[in-house]
Amino acid sequence: MTTASAPLRAAEGATVLRLGGYSIRLRHRVLAAVLGSLAALIALAMWSAATGSTSLGIERVWYALIGQGTKGDEFILWTLRLPRLATGLAVGACMGLAGALFQNLTRNPLGSPDLLGLTQGATTGALVAIIVTGSSLQVTTMLAAVGSLATGLLIWALTRGGDPSGYRLILVGIGVSAILAGVNGYLLTRTTIIDAFRAVYWLTGDLSGRDFGQAAAVGAVLAAGVLVIAFLSRGLDSLRLGEATATGLGVSVGATRVTALVTASILAAGAVAVAGPLAFVALAAPHIAARLTGSSRSFLCSALVGALIVTAADMIAVAGVGGRQLPTGVVTGVVGGAYLIWLLIAHRKKGVMS
Amino acid sequence: MTTSPLAARKATLGYGRTVISEGLSVDIPEGEFTVIMGPNACGKSTLLKALARMLKPSHGTVLLDGKDIHHQNTRAVARRLGLLPQSPIAPDGITVADLVARGRYPHQGILRQWSADDERVVGEAMAATDIADLASRGVDELSGGQRQRVWIAMVLAQQTPLLLLDEPTTYLDITHQIEVLDLCAKLHREGRTLVAVLHDLNQAARYATHLIAMREGEVVAEGAPADIVTAETVRQVFDLPCRIIDDPESGTPLVIPSVRATNLV
Repeated sequence: MTTASAPLRAAEGATVLRLGGYSIRLRHRVLAAVLGSLAALIALAMWSAATGSTSLGIERVWYALIGQGTKGDEFILWTLRLPRLATGLAVGACMGLAGALFQNLTRNPLGSPDLLGLTQGATTGALVAIIVTGSSLQVTTMLAAVGSLATGLLIWALTRGGDPSGYRLILVGIGVSAILAGVNGYLLTRTTIIDAFRAVYWLTGDLSGRDFGQAAAVGAVLAAGVLVIAFLSRGLDSLRLGEATATGLGVSVGATRVTALVTASILAAGAVAVAGPLAFVALAAPHIAARLTGSSRSFLCSALVGALIVTAADMIAVAGVGGRQLPTGVVTGVVGGAYLIWLLIAHRKKGVMS
Repeated sequence: MTTSPLAARKATLGYGRTVISEGLSVDIPEGEFTVIMGPNACGKSTLLKALARMLKPSHGTVLLDGKDIHHQNTRAVARRLGLLPQSPIAPDGITVADLVARGRYPHQGILRQWSADDERVVGEAMAATDIADLASRGVDELSGGQRQRVWIAMVLAQQTPLLLLDEPTTYLDITHQIEVLDLCAKLHREGRTLVAVLHDLNQAARYATHLIAMREGEVVAEGAPADIVTAETVRQVFDLPCRIIDDPESGTPLVIPSVRATNLV
């Protein structure tokens, strides 16, 4: 396959666009994965808008979209479906990015906001809001975000200074997660059955009844995260070669890791605050994206896959079982759990992705 | 005295509260192949890590071109000084060309991802390490010796006049050790300044043009191998009674450990 006379193929499998001193390198496999998941996402989003308890069909969706549909159709689309769809897309993308960042930071295939305790932290915040103040969705959302973010910062504070390897981050995260689980259990036992039910419902994670305000809030978090990641991603990619190699290549390892950890915490906080802890999305999205892109990693692809998972799961949730809708988190949990088990079995022979 | 592009000045080095070296001063001479050697835990890898700015001295400084290395832009440093660490990690499924291309990081930016220079330099680095034929192979399919040459190619793609190598021959069998050291010698002949930590005293004596012998965090002896590899220094550094003869192949000093009474029991 390889011959001595072959030309040097330093940029094999990639197209380079150059203009003046600027150049952009597009890896074919990454490009195909990104475009493919984007196309799938658009198709799924259209399908999602067209179906549901009332089937509209693409044509009626289109007329309602451009303002020429019936009052009823426009209400279904603009008030019921699009806000939910938009929230799901943004939440999924946030979770996909947060998971990819955590897996990169911990250099561990299980690195995710769920494992590191950020989800538990968000839950603590939400439980305080629901049980202690008995308050509205807005306050619950705020406190959940605060809880998640505070947990991220706590983990950072506890891991800094020492050996910064991925294992330390994971173990500290598991410890923090266990403590918070205890706190959450305590909070649940200190409440009325009605508040406890509301809390458990929140804990499952759901997208029903979300409005454009919430979609915009997660969208803003997502946009900020994407911007930061655009600047971080090359350094993070070098960190995959090990900390020593990255230092040698001129990556500010400490600054890159802190920025990535804070960004991942904010992304996870935004997503969990609005949708509740949709289980396994942050864990599964980067793995599926990695499967699509091969040895190169693409944060963009992970975000798209995260959005795909949440949108698909939400469609299943809306379709429901026996005529009753399910909370979205039930579907992501069941599907994500099954995926994780499959992943472990499929990779039994081979070391899992770094 | 020759000029020194890289130096430690009264540096106190350690991990947390454990101090390995105190007030250590070392000059890396320009254009030489310097080998740092010494028994296990003598602080040789710690010194290399400090020179590579992976470890910040708690007191004192490390100077690159006369200026504190920690006060310089880390990407600018990476264009002067390349580092091959002890156990770099190759991401699953990465190809040789892709890994070597990672060496271009300090020359690239968010809107300067792959210049014509990058392409040319990566090609040259692969040619210099004789891995051009492996370009599209997966790194995980390669032998230990080939893999080490790929990593060296990655550091070469950084285009730095200074190369630091932390135990580049560890875990390799003897053939591949010699192959890697011959490659280092070639890079040195082409004009680069090399600093390597090596375990094997005889290999150090054969390949180095400048030796730094360490023990318990201090420099015990320093100079050309022919001058400092003596039975006395070896006893001082390694506690090893020995004889020194001329290496019949290279003429460099060859350490022959004595047959000690303890070995005869």
